[in-house]
Amino acid sequence: MKISLSWLKEFVALKAKPQELKTALTGLGLGVEALVQAGDDFIFEIEVTTNRPDCLSHLGVARELATHYRLPLKQPKTIVKESSRPSARAVSITIADADLCARYCGRVVENVEVKPSPAWLARRLEAVGLRPINNIADVTNYVLMELGHPLHAFDLARLAGRKIIVRRARAGEHLRTLDGVDRTLTPENLAIADAERAVALAGVMGGEESEISSSTRTVLLESAWFDPVSIRRTAKAHGMHTEASHRFERGADIEMAPVALDRAAALIAEVAGGEVLRGRVDVYPAPRRPRAIPLRSSEILRLLGADVPAKDVGRILSALGFQVAETKSSKSKVESRRSKAAFDSRHSTFDSSWKVTPPSWRPDVSREVDFIEELARHIGYDRLPSRLRVASRRIEQNEAREKELEVSRRLTALGYYEIVTSSMADPEENARFTDRPPVALANPLSQEASVLRSSTLPGMLGALGWNLDRDRKDLRLYEAGKIYVAKPVGAEKLGELPEERRVLTLGLTGTWREKRLDEEEKNLHAGFSDLKGDIESLLEAFDSAGVRFDPESSSCYEPGFAGRLAAAGAPEPLAIFGRLRGARAREYKFPQEVWLAEIDYDQLLGLKLKARTFRPFSKFPAVERDFSLLVPAGIPYSRLAEALSRSRVEEVMDTRPVELLPEGKIEPGHYSLLLRVRFQSPSRTLTGEETATLGQRLVNSLALLGVRLRS
Amino acid sequence: MQIRALRKHGAPLHILAPGKAYRRDNPDATHSPMFHQVEGLAVDTDITFADLKGTLDFFCRKFFGEKVRTSFHPTYFPFTEPSGEVSISCFVCEGRGSDNSGQICRTCKGSGWMEVMGCGMVHPEVLRAGGVDPERYSGWAFGLGIERFAMVKYDIHDIQLFFQSDMRFLEQFG
Ligand SMILES: [Zn+2]
Repeated sequence: MKISLSWLKEFVALKAKPQELKTALTGLGLGVEALVQAGDDFIFEIEVTTNRPDCLSHLGVARELATHYRLPLKQPKTIVKESSRPSARAVSITIADADLCARYCGRVVENVEVKPSPAWLARRLEAVGLRPINNIADVTNYVLMELGHPLHAFDLARLAGRKIIVRRARAGEHLRTLDGVDRTLTPENLAIADAERAVALAGVMGGEESEISSSTRTVLLESAWFDPVSIRRTAKAHGMHTEASHRFERGADIEMAPVALDRAAALIAEVAGGEVLRGRVDVYPAPRRPRAIPLRSSEILRLLGADVPAKDVGRILSALGFQVAETKSSKSKVESRRSKAAFDSRHSTFDSSWKVTPPSWRPDVSREVDFIEELARHIGYDRLPSRLRVASRRIEQNEAREKELEVSRRLTALGYYEIVTSSMADPEENARFTDRPPVALANPLSQEASVLRSSTLPGMLGALGWNLDRDRKDLRLYEAGKIYVAKPVGAEKLGELPEERRVLTLGLTGTWREKRLDEEEKNLHAGFSDLKGDIESLLEAFDSAGVRFDPESSSCYEPGFAGRLAAAGAPEPLAIFGRLRGARAREYKFPQEVWLAEIDYDQLLGLKLKARTFRPFSKFPAVERDFSLLVPAGIPYSRLAEALSRSRVEEVMDTRPVELLPEGKIEPGHYSLLLRVRFQSPSRTLTGEETATLGQRLVNSLALLGVRLRS
Repeated sequence: MQIRALRKHGAPLHILAPGKAYRRDNPDATHSPMFHQVEGLAVDTDITFADLKGTLDFFCRKFFGEKVRTSFHPTYFPFTEPSGEVSISCFVCEGRGSDNSGQICRTCKGSGWMEVMGCGMVHPEVLRAGGVDPERYSGWAFGLGIERFAMVKYDIHDIQLFFQSDMRFLEQFG
């Protein structure tokens, strides 16, 4: 809302400089988005929050500043010179639907001359961003900006029967509004009608037929109060937003209706000539009954952590237009000494209470806490005390968070960078990676972001692609994010949320480390064992005994270069990983192999972190032995590792594969593996003979899998 | 978040809830349809506006630097009352709005202050809806945008950088 400083000064004798006023307004909750000089005036662009319709006017903003600077607030001039003819004879006003219109005031001005406004009026409107139209319309806009109450002017001669009936529109009733649009109304819309038809969309916009024109001689001024919810619905249904609807839907001041009406009538007489007929027609079936609400000093202290002296409570609330009656009073010593320390007190020195009646222009105030907010605003948030306490309650460590941190520490150590990609996906792209149905958005920004993803792979591929396109060839990325799975059609229940699952996604491409001078780059290209190794390093943090590896066949991954890890008996795999299938890689125009892993993060975090216990190290030397094994094709190394660990040879410190010869190189149907084992005893130096015996026990434990020593 | 947490845990309660948030905004340098938020809530028998101020002032100084000052001004949120917006003094120009040569400070756009988060005392109806007696308990709450905080702290001028996964960005913070 644009507010003119010179206009404000008609209500309050402000002395402060514009910059100081800007700070003061911000401190009151009237944020100033811009302050510009316009000739000898200054214009504040104020962001008025939705709860403060009273500040959508110069009077309202002036009231705030008058309270702040402890200055008197002048009321607008509303003395109307009336002719002897009563307006009640010139027009009849009926409210048929009083639930949507609580008050309707009208005045009639005869013999007006419709013409351009005088310069002072036009300038005022232009200063606050309105375009002058003619003197009658301009006066209604002037009063709107000044007092915040929307008015409408009809050409009375064009109202059939010289009648106003406020009623719900009939289904299918037509109205051409001032913006030139033909509208079809519904009974949801409140209409202003004459004896025959709708002539205005109440509280939103007038109709073209009864519009003020150069031939208008008699003006009917409308100043009413319409139900906020009804106005909001009507404006929304017709895709309209006007200065009037903006105020009515936030809550106009019902007691301002006659004041604004008189103000406008007096101004019209001044700028358009004419005679104002005697009296207002004021249809107000159930006048508002103000309600007094209790306010306690103990509650002020309890919420603000500060005592507010009774005289400040009275001064602030009264200046804002509240009626304040003290019902209990105990003057404090602090107050009588006028100590500034009053606001710092933690211990109440008061025990007062009041009955406070909010003014008609404050629809936002209906409880004790609303008064306390008013006090806090006008004392100034920055002047209220501040307290930092030591947390005294027990703080529980979030175990899941500990695990997440461990995962991200490990991935970071492995050279991965964390990324966040959009949860909103293209349904077609999403469907290429999963059968899980994604969740459709009700109101998407674009087709490319019209569902909540049910696969994280497109996001990861997008991230890899973004960097490959920028010549970054060596990438290790991870994302910990959610997928959203829609309930199958027919199975969804009202209000039931779609399933959310957490997925840890890895993306790997290029070399796994920078090559040294004497190396060839192609030997460093990340491959299946690098990705699998990274996942295993992650799993090492957890108690993951019983997790088994198997080859994976899924349409996203290249056959023979994909695997899965699954816990025994688990319905879903813990991880699926491998090389992006060639056809897919070509779709994304990737110039190199891309490796991906999807880890069920909920399942991973469901595992216990591995308990660490210190194992004393042996004083005796360790011995390494290599075993050259022939392994039947189809037996993965993980099965060997399981068998070795089940053999429970205490002296085995470590086993690891060091060389692999593919199937058929040595013997058909077998691949060859060089296994390196480190033996060490805690109590003595192992002899060659002892080591050989231990080695034989290991080989025996593998015999069940059909593994034998290469002779 | 507040009502659900109160229903689940009851009072007293102190929680922080980080998470993804969505808004129907077209993406540009300052808007993203997806972003991250942290909401905080403290409810107890002796919580006042002073605790809100003290805690957020402490937090802002720890996060943005000890020289930072905070300022609170009123605003409107439906679930808190009184409601406030927290501004911090600009740590680049130290609140002066311009550098030594008189150039307008780019970080705070010359105002010397930057709005960083919203806060307020929990509305009595929210406490009631959470099954907590508002005559006995009071609380304060805040909400902040993680990207916004990072943008202010690291002088980042485009929110899209957080979601592009560009290595030139990631490497600076990895
Ligand atoms: Zn600055």
